[in-house]
Amino acid sequence: MMAQTQKHILLVDDNPLYLKMLNQAFDKAGFTCQTALSAQEGIDKLATYTPDAILSDYEMPDMNGVEFRQYLMQQPAHRDIPFIFLTGNNDTNLMSTGLDLQAVDYVIKDTPFKVIIAKLNNLLHTVQKQRELSEMEIKRAAAALNIKAVPDKAPQLTNIGIHFWHKSYQDIPGGDFIDFIETDNNYTFILLGDIMGKRWNAWFFTFTFLSYIRAAIRFSILSGEHSIAVILQKVNLIICQDDMLRDVLSSLSLVRINRQTGQLFYSGAGDIPLLHYNYAAAQLNQVSSSGLLLGLFADGSYDEQEITLAPHDRLFIFTDGMTDFATEKGSKSDYNRFALHLQQQLTHNPDFETLKQNLIPQPDALVDDCSIIQIHKYPQ
Amino acid sequence: MISIINEDKYLWADVNLTEANLSNANEFKALLIDLLNQKQKSIVLNMTQVTYIDSSFLGALVAGLKHAISMQFDIILVGLQPDIHDLIKLIRLDKVFKIYNDNSQVQ
Repeated sequence: MMAQTQKHILLVDDNPLYLKMLNQAFDKAGFTCQTALSAQEGIDKLATYTPDAILSDYEMPDMNGVEFRQYLMQQPAHRDIPFIFLTGNNDTNLMSTGLDLQAVDYVIKDTPFKVIIAKLNNLLHTVQKQRELSEMEIKRAAAALNIKAVPDKAPQLTNIGIHFWHKSYQDIPGGDFIDFIETDNNYTFILLGDIMGKRWNAWFFTFTFLSYIRAAIRFSILSGEHSIAVILQKVNLIICQDDMLRDVLSSLSLVRINRQTGQLFYSGAGDIPLLHYNYAAAQLNQVSSSGLLLGLFADGSYDEQEITLAPHDRLFIFTDGMTDFATEKGSKSDYNRFALHLQQQLTHNPDFETLKQNLIPQPDALVDDCSIIQIHKYPQ
Repeated sequence: MISIINEDKYLWADVNLTEANLSNANEFKALLIDLLNQKQKSIVLNMTQVTYIDSSFLGALVAGLKHAISMQFDIILVGLQPDIHDLIKLIRLDKVFKIYNDNSQVQ
């Protein structure tokens, strides 16, 4: 049976010949394997390698398979990797010990390779299905509670156009969050944040951050405080003081638009610099702020600056998912490459939908949540 | 993941990762905090082998730094690859980490 997608397996056995044959059989079935001749070598490999499953011999010198499994159970990064024992005999005590250690299965060593591979394929399929079901449950719960880290649509303003695009990494909600907040004194606030982390771990905290930011903006405006640098500092202080958010950090780009005048101010917290496309000069300029990540230090050194958009100018706010990408040699982060690509696209003056299609990384190249917001001024 | 190379006024260590990402961030943070607690001194991390850092791992590094600062120690980064150094500067983390090209520059 061929593996449906290329899965990574760590094979551990002290018999070099058996290990080689096992490796060849898995390789032929479409798996990518790393091999280890001892449990210790397996542990060393796991320091830099996270396989989808581990297949390990029981009888090995120094550290046997059970001791290997016991060691991995102590390691948070490795305890949940599905583990299968290879045993030389039908030792029911060993099987019972192995299953007590949450090994998901055991295989007698003289089992034909194709049966071992079929067992492993079934196991990986079951694990994947269980993960999908768990994710579906969380998505249902979030939908039922009507909690969203990204709104459905951007607000419509008379003199400023706002468009955005967001894509979760591997379709699992992650750390990026977007919001548009309209206050009744003619301000619209645009915010784009990125909790440092990925997937569910980060997603869970987006709501806490969003709640604090929304509250800080509304309280500040109600009390006559309009400075977005001051608002960011208030948000930062609350987050630094919240023990529940210890070690949780987030970037934030905060823009305040005056809906009547179109005047626009920006303040950033550890965010990657914005890009301002000057249409008349056909130039893309970096807009940097001085603020540190939210939650880092009590004094976040926040500043604010006015950004003047001429008609047809565009301002882009985005997260690192747009600038990071996977290559055959590994992942890379390249802000300048993204800026150059964006500038090339903008010379054709595309609408946002077309621009988006040309900017979206290929699915195979995605390494993180991707979010981008475009703000542009309508011609007078 | 973290190999101790030497120990004097600082703890000198290599980070043995090429891709520093979500899969190793939590373990790295725990190791870094354990080292700070055990050794009670600032740590110089040689990052030469690391070719990519994602935001999860940056978060782990910063959490380590916050822990170090609370103990009045430091985390010093040396040998950052240019792409990673650029990213750290873009998000202003160069204001909070001491960063050097190589070990000889660490005072």
